[in-house]
Amino acid sequence: MDLTLDKKLQGFQLVAQEKLCSILCSIPGKKELILEPDLIKPLEHVVTASWLKLKGIQRIYKHDAAQSLPRSADQVHIYMIRSVLGTFQTLLKQLQPVASEEMPDISMKMYHIVCVPSCYSYFQTLLEQAGLYGLVQLHHFNWDFIYFDQGVLSLELPNLYECLYLQKNTSPLPAVAQSLRLLQMICGQPSLILSFGHHSSQLMQMAKTLGKLPAPTNPPDYGGWLVIDRDKDYPASLLTPAIYAGLLLEVFEHSSGEILVDNSKNKIRSQRVELLQGKKSKIGVNSASKPCSIRLNSTSDEIYGDNRYKRFAQVSSLIHAQVKALGLELQKLNDMQLDEMHDYVARKLPKLTELKSKVLRHLNASEIVIQMMGNFRKLQTLEEDILNNDSRKRLLSEIDELLTTDGQRFNTLRLLCLLHHCVGVAPEELQIFARNYCNLFGHQELGVFQQLSQAGLLPPLVVEKKAPTKLLSNLPLPKFQQTEFQANANRLKLLTSSGDGQDGGSSSKSQSSGLQTCPSFVFNGTYIPLVAQLCSILLKINSAEELSSKLGMIEGLHLHLDSGKITPKAYASQVKLNGVADQDMFPLRLRNLFVFIVGGASYAEIAACDFVAKLTGAQITVASDSLMAGSDLIATAFNR
Amino acid sequence: MDLQLDSESYWNRSSRAAFSFDDEDEVDLAPDLVSNGILADDTISEASFNNSVALNLSIKSILSEEALKLVLQEQALDDRVLPKGVSPEEELKLLRRQLQSTLYSPNLEATAQKLLQGKTAPLEMFKSLHEKQQLLDTLMAQGGGHAVITVLLFLKRTLNTTQFHGILRERPKALEQYLSYLKESGDLAGHIELLQLFGRHQEAALKQFQAALASGDTSTRKKHLQLLVDAYATAGVGVIPLYEQVFHAALKMQQLMEKDSALGKLLRDQPTPVEVLYACCQVNSNWKEQDMLKPVSPQRFAADQQISPAQYEWTALNERAQAQAYADLECIFERVPSWHPLKTKQFHISFDLTLAVLRLYELQAPSTVLQLFLSKMGNSVEKLALAQRVKCIKAVIDAMAGLKQQQELQQLKDTLPERSEEQFYCENALKSLQSKRWTTDNIKLKL
Repeated sequence: MDLTLDKKLQGFQLVAQEKLCSILCSIPGKKELILEPDLIKPLEHVVTASWLKLKGIQRIYKHDAAQSLPRSADQVHIYMIRSVLGTFQTLLKQLQPVASEEMPDISMKMYHIVCVPSCYSYFQTLLEQAGLYGLVQLHHFNWDFIYFDQGVLSLELPNLYECLYLQKNTSPLPAVAQSLRLLQMICGQPSLILSFGHHSSQLMQMAKTLGKLPAPTNPPDYGGWLVIDRDKDYPASLLTPAIYAGLLLEVFEHSSGEILVDNSKNKIRSQRVELLQGKKSKIGVNSASKPCSIRLNSTSDEIYGDNRYKRFAQVSSLIHAQVKALGLELQKLNDMQLDEMHDYVARKLPKLTELKSKVLRHLNASEIVIQMMGNFRKLQTLEEDILNNDSRKRLLSEIDELLTTDGQRFNTLRLLCLLHHCVGVAPEELQIFARNYCNLFGHQELGVFQQLSQAGLLPPLVVEKKAPTKLLSNLPLPKFQQTEFQANANRLKLLTSSGDGQDGGSSSKSQSSGLQTCPSFVFNGTYIPLVAQLCSILLKINSAEELSSKLGMIEGLHLHLDSGKITPKAYASQVKLNGVADQDMFPLRLRNLFVFIVGGASYAEIAACDFVAKLTGAQITVASDSLMAGSDLIATAFNR
Repeated sequence: MDLQLDSESYWNRSSRAAFSFDDEDEVDLAPDLVSNGILADDTISEASFNNSVALNLSIKSILSEEALKLVLQEQALDDRVLPKGVSPEEELKLLRRQLQSTLYSPNLEATAQKLLQGKTAPLEMFKSLHEKQQLLDTLMAQGGGHAVITVLLFLKRTLNTTQFHGILRERPKALEQYLSYLKESGDLAGHIELLQLFGRHQEAALKQFQAALASGDTSTRKKHLQLLVDAYATAGVGVIPLYEQVFHAALKMQQLMEKDSALGKLLRDQPTPVEVLYACCQVNSNWKEQDMLKPVSPQRFAADQQISPAQYEWTALNERAQAQAYADLECIFERVPSWHPLKTKQFHISFDLTLAVLRLYELQAPSTVLQLFLSKMGNSVEKLALAQRVKCIKAVIDAMAGLKQQQELQQLKDTLPERSEEQFYCENALKSLQSKRWTTDNIKLKL
C-alpha cells in the first residue's frame, strides 16, 4: 500500500501508542495513572481514555504537587511527568515515605515514574540518593511528533527554548534527536540535510551518535531536511504576524493545537498593569459568557482551514460575510412549505447549526483580536521602521512611550529585543529602559534582562570600567555599518519593504489588490521568514555551485553528509573536484522538504512555507518543539 | 456535551472522586460524570481526536518490524535486566559483557551512546583524571544533552573541589550546564557560590536580590535587602549602576510599606513601584503644592524610585481620572522652568498629548476636561481630528476657529441643538472671526 506523506505523519500517533503500551503492559497489578496537568492536553493527541482502560489503567488522577495521593496495598501508582528537574525532585519528596515502608515483595514495583520525553540519565542518581532505588521504577516515554494540522507537527516540549537558549542546558536535546531518528525510520533518509546554527548541528551529530538505523524498506518521502536554530531568525518570532493563525496565538492562550477564547481573559490583557487599563466597566459585561475553544486544525474546523494563513484584515471581512450568509440561509425556513421544512430540518439543519456555531466562535475571536491589538497599523509601522533601521533614537523613544502608555509585560520587551537584533541597543540605553520597566512591572523582573541577554536578544549588562570605553560607546555608529542581521537579511533578500522605488511600488500595488506574490505577506509585506526563503532557495537552485553562491556567505550553515558536516562552499568544491554531475544532489529530485526549528516555530513561518510550497509545487512540513507567539518566547525569561 | 479531559470536573485530586473504569468499585463519581458512561466519554474523545481506528492505518505500514523493535529497545532504561526466556549461552554472553564493562578499559563511545539514550551506564571504571576528562569531552563533542550533567555529578563525587572546578573552568559550556542544574534543583546557595567563585558577581548579586524579594514577609525581605545593599556598597566587586539603583529602590519601597500601613492596605502583596505610586496618588490630598518631605507624596515617591516623568504623569492622570478628580489633572503637568524659577508654572507633558486625551475620553472624563487638554495642542489640524474622534464639540469649534473655517463652523452650528451651550459657543466663535474681518475691511477703507 502506498501511503500518503500526510498519513505517515499521522502515524506517529501509532508509534507513540506502541511505546506507551510497552511501558504499561510491562507493569503488573491494578494500575492508577497520576498525570501532571500540563501533560493532559498533548496526551489526548496520543491516546483516549478507553485505550488506557484496555491497558489496565483503572483510575486517572491529576497530579497535585501539594499533596500526596494515598495508595491501597494492591494498587500500582504510575506517575507521568515532564522531564523537568524541579518536578522530578518534588515528586521524589512526595514519595520519600515509601523508602521507609515495609515492602512485601521487593521485586514488585508499586511506584513508577514515566518521564516525558526522556528520563534523564542523572535522574537515576537522584533516585538512588533519595533512597528510592529499587522501590520506584523509572521509564522513558517520548510521544515524538504530534500531527497538529496539514504541514504542521509539534513535539510539544514547551520548555525547550528556555533550556537551550536561556539556561544553556542541552538536557532535552537527546529526546529531540530520537524523534528525528524516528522520522527517518518512517519517512526515509533524505538526500539533503542542512543545518543552520549550533544546536541544529549538535542535534544532527547526536542523532548519529545514538546509533545506526535499520535499512529503509521504502523510498524516502522527503528530498531534504532543514534544521535551524530559533536564534538564527529572531524577527520571525518577534514581529507581529498579519495572518489569522498567528494573531490567534498572539491573543489567546494556546495548548497543544487548541486556543481558548475567553471574553474576559487573554494574553494581551494579562500583560498590562491592571490599574492603568481603561474601560473597566466593560469587563463585567463580558465575563458572563463561557470560554470556548478553537481547534487549529483544518480537518476538524473548516472555518480555520479556509482562513488560517490569510491576512487578518481579509479574514475579518470573510467571517462577517459568512455570518450574514448564514443568517440569510436560516431565514429561508420562514418561506418553506411544511414538507420542505421537515426535510430541511432532518438533513441540512444539523450541519448548518454546527457550522453556525463554528463561524460564531471565529467571529467572536476575531472581534477580540481587533480590540486587543488596538492600533495595529501603528505597531506595524514601528516594526517596519525597526527592521529598516529608520532613526534609532526615535524608535527608542517610541518604545519607551509605549512602555509608559500601553506597557505590556512581554510585548513591549519584545519590541526592544527586535530593535536590538536589527539595529543594536547600547547598554546605557538598556539600563534606562530596564529601570522604567522595573518601575512598571516590579523590581523582581530585573533578572529578565540578564536572561534575555543570554539568548542574545538584548545586550549584556556589564560593569563599565574605563572612561575611554564609555566615550567610545557613546559615539554614533557610522551610517554605512550594518548589523549582522542586516547583512544576512540583505544577502538573502528578507527585507521586502526596503527595495528601490520601483519594486516597492509594484509590491504595494500587489498587496493592495489582495494578490500575494511574496511570502512576506505574513508580515504585511515587510519581512520574509528565513526558513521560507531557505526553502525557496533549496527548491529553485540547480547545482551545488548555485547553492554555494547563494548561501556560502552565511556563517553556521552546514550540509550533513555520511562523511560528516560540510559547508556549502566545500560541498561545491567537492562536487566540482569529483567531476561527476550525478554526485550533485541539486536540483532536488524529490521536492518535499521537512523543516525543524529548534526552539519554537511561529505560524508566520508556517504560513510562509505553505506559500512557498504552493508557489513551487512542493510539499513542506514545518515541525518544532512547540508553536509560539512572540510573547511566549519572551515569557520564558520570566520563569524562575 | 462538551466533556473534555482538561475540564476540572473530569480530573480529581482526592481518592474519593477519581475517574474509574470499574463499575463495581464503590467510588463517588463527580456529578458531571455520573450521567455520562464510559462509552459516551469515549465517543466524545474519539470524535475529538484522531485515533488508530479513525486513522485507518496500521503501524506495520509505516514502520518495519525491525525498526519498531529498535524503537522499543531504545526506550527501555536498563539493558542489564536479563530478558525472560534467554538461553544459557546468551546469558553467558551478556554476563561476560557486563563483566568486561566493569573490569576492562572503559569504552568511551559505547558509554556516551548509552548515556545519551538515558540508559544506565556504570562510570566507576573512569578512574584517572584523564579518563574522566575524556569522557566529558567525548559527550560534549557528541552533542551534550542530559548526559553531561550525569557525568558532571559523577566528577563532583569522585574528584576533589579543586580538580572539579578546574574542569569547569576550562569548559565554559559544561559550567553553564552545571549552573543550570543547580538552579533547577533549587540549590540556590550552591548556584550563587559557584557564580561568585567564577567571578560572575553581578549574576550572583541578581540571584541574591531575587531570593530576597522572594522571602515570605515584609520584615524578612527588608532585612535581606538591607544586607544585600550593604554588602555591595562595601565589596570590591562592582555591579552596574542599574542594579545598585534597583536594590536601593526596592529597599526604600519595603521600608515605606512597612512604615505606612494605610498605604499597604490599598495594595496587593509585592506591588510594583507604579502601583505604589498609584496608591500614593489615591491618598494624596494636596495636588497644588505637594509636600516633598512626605515619603508618600507622589512626587517625592517618584523621585525616590526614579520613576520617569512620563510614567509619573501617566499614572497620576489615570488615577485622578478614575477618581473623577478632574480639578487636579492640570496640576500633574505643571512645571517650573529651570531657567527662570520666579516665573509662573507652565504646562508640560512628557508623552504624546493625543494619548492623554484618548485615555481621558476612555475613562469618560467630561467634555470640559477634554477641551482643556485639547487646548494645549498647537497643531489645529491634529486637534480637529482628535476633537472629532472624542466628540468634544467645543474643542472642534476651537480647532475650526484656529483654522479659520467659517463655512464649516456655520454648517456645524446648524447641526447643533437650538439654544444649546455648544451652539452659543459656536456662534461666538463665528462672530469673533467675522469681527476680525470687519476690522480689517475698516482699516482698508481708511487708507
